[in-house]
Amino acid sequence: MTDTARKFIETYERERTALPAADLGWLKAHRDAAMKAFAKAGLPHRRLEDWRYTDLARVLDKASLAPMPLHKGDVSVPDAQAAVRVFGGIDRHIVTIVNGQLRGDVSLPDGVSLLPLSDVLAQPWARALVETRVSKTQAADILALNTGLMRGGLGLHIAKGVKLDKPLHLIYLVADDGAVHLRNLIQLEEGAEATIYESFVGTGSYFTDHATSLSLAEDARLTQIRVQDEAPAAIHLATLSATLAARTYLSSFTLSLGSALSRGQTFVRFDGEGAEAHINGATALKGRQHGDQFCITDHAVPHCTSATLFRTVLDDASTGVFQGRVIVRPHAQKTDGRQMTNALLLSRDAAMNAKPELEIYADDVQCAHGSTIGELNSEALFYLRSRGIDEQTARQLLISAFLDEAFKTVPDEPAREGLRELAADWFRLTEKESA
Amino acid sequence: MLEIKNLHATVGGKEILKGIDLTVNAGEIHAIMGPNGSGKSTLSYLLSGRDGYDVTEGSVTYKGQDLLALSVDARAVAGVFLAFQYPIEIPGVTTMTFLKAALNAVRKARGEEELDAPRFLKKVREKAKPLNIADDMLKRALNVGFSGGEKKRAEILQMALLEPALAILDETDSGLDIDALKVVSDGVNALRSPDRAMIVITHYQRLLEYIVPDVVHVLSEGRIVRTGGKELAGELERTGYAEFAA
Repeated sequence: MTDTARKFIETYERERTALPAADLGWLKAHRDAAMKAFAKAGLPHRRLEDWRYTDLARVLDKASLAPMPLHKGDVSVPDAQAAVRVFGGIDRHIVTIVNGQLRGDVSLPDGVSLLPLSDVLAQPWARALVETRVSKTQAADILALNTGLMRGGLGLHIAKGVKLDKPLHLIYLVADDGAVHLRNLIQLEEGAEATIYESFVGTGSYFTDHATSLSLAEDARLTQIRVQDEAPAAIHLATLSATLAARTYLSSFTLSLGSALSRGQTFVRFDGEGAEAHINGATALKGRQHGDQFCITDHAVPHCTSATLFRTVLDDASTGVFQGRVIVRPHAQKTDGRQMTNALLLSRDAAMNAKPELEIYADDVQCAHGSTIGELNSEALFYLRSRGIDEQTARQLLISAFLDEAFKTVPDEPAREGLRELAADWFRLTEKESA
Repeated sequence: MLEIKNLHATVGGKEILKGIDLTVNAGEIHAIMGPNGSGKSTLSYLLSGRDGYDVTEGSVTYKGQDLLALSVDARAVAGVFLAFQYPIEIPGVTTMTFLKAALNAVRKARGEEELDAPRFLKKVREKAKPLNIADDMLKRALNVGFSGGEKKRAEILQMALLEPALAILDETDSGLDIDALKVVSDGVNALRSPDRAMIVITHYQRLLEYIVPDVVHVLSEGRIVRTGGKELAGELERTGYAEFAA
């Protein structure tokens, strides 16, 4: 076991009576079991196939982090941060979460309840979400750590048929060094609808261990758009575990720009027919950044659709990873499952690891997957330059065009425009630094 | 405007141009004809600054400056334009976005103000109309899924917008049916001007019935082997290039 894993276990031993809702018997037993499983498995490392390209154990050991303190001082919403500004022009509800703790009040319409994690755990729907294990994979095992140590985060419940009037913007700000374990529990009842924006920002050297447990009841619809722009020294792990009932719609998009090391994990399980999941993202890295996206869509029932597209741009000596799996269970006929990853390398020192997989046990399905890794097309660059466009602008045009295929999957138009602009800023900055 | 002296160039170590001499003055249209492999496209790419062509001897002077010392985009903003034989498809970049970036780059270099969106749109539509280019085509990704004729018309649109001093048309007639050829030629002829020179590179005489040149050169084995008036094109059409073959 690594030092960091041992420290996490010690933290749990020391603080378990002080953790949120520690008096709930079922939760205590659940946490104990989770930490026992964690103690057995330890932190994930590259000898595990699902973590083949990302050595979380080693990186966390090097970072040597203490548990995150509560942040005492005032913290204002960091409007200036690009990851927050990206949604700036959009009328929305804003909730700020500092070091895992909810700050301030937000006034939400009837039928929508948003509370700190500690206040929702006693509710039956929250318990069901905590106890649901969406994926039994090596990748999902790390959730045990979050289950044991979760102390920040929130619960969001939207009642049957209620449509959230405007997007809900969750801003996660980390203001101190240390490890923060956040859990969001999100339940959309039948026919409920919502759009959630999430911005991850912070300063210093810290580990964000963020997990979302999501359940969409029949006919519910959720659009989620995330921007991960954590501090340059941060380690970011975000896991979305979703169960989708019949005729539900989930669209989840992640723009990943920040952190020294980041890993986004998405586990989707279809529990009812006629549901669709769109899991997409764009990643742009430079320096020695490492960014990993791991995605499993599990078709356990027939007639569901999943589509995954991740596009990655890598500059300098950065490393990108995509590991994905579409599972089609024996009875899941008429499944439509698609998965694509494309990477653009801007430097000879950048590296991309892509491993898309299909596991198909049904015979009447449409599934496709693909992966490409390439560099900027020199013919296209020459053509643009031959019309007077300078080299830097020509490169930006081609890189933006490459990422735009991913941005096109974002169903929310104002947010899509914001994402495009944010990505364009990234290139301008990067090209200036390397010029 | 353009003076090429004793130009020798190699591609991948193989000598393709073996001593070209060519002077083109403002207001003139020069046709360069020749069989496949004679060096026509090499000459056009070399003038536009494409990588992979090494000049081993000679010089190219454009408006008094050493053209070969300029980068690809510097040549373009200085007024050199190549209409490609095979325009490149660029997925994800709309024709409109591309045209705006190109026009504003060239305007900026000329010390003119950049055009805002409405004024740009007006200008593009004005130039696109005679070429039968509809808005729908401008919204599509550049050259992606364009027919052969659409690609060539898009090239002429770029030329009309950028108003180059020296335009090089590389096999602009290839892949065009007679109607498309007419539209493209009309577009080119509309750009004839005492301040502008053009080099029309073609394998066939057909194009030169529509774009009538002042001077015709025959390129063979990397050298200009004959120069004459526009009647030379007709003569070549009858006799073929056989007499110039090595």
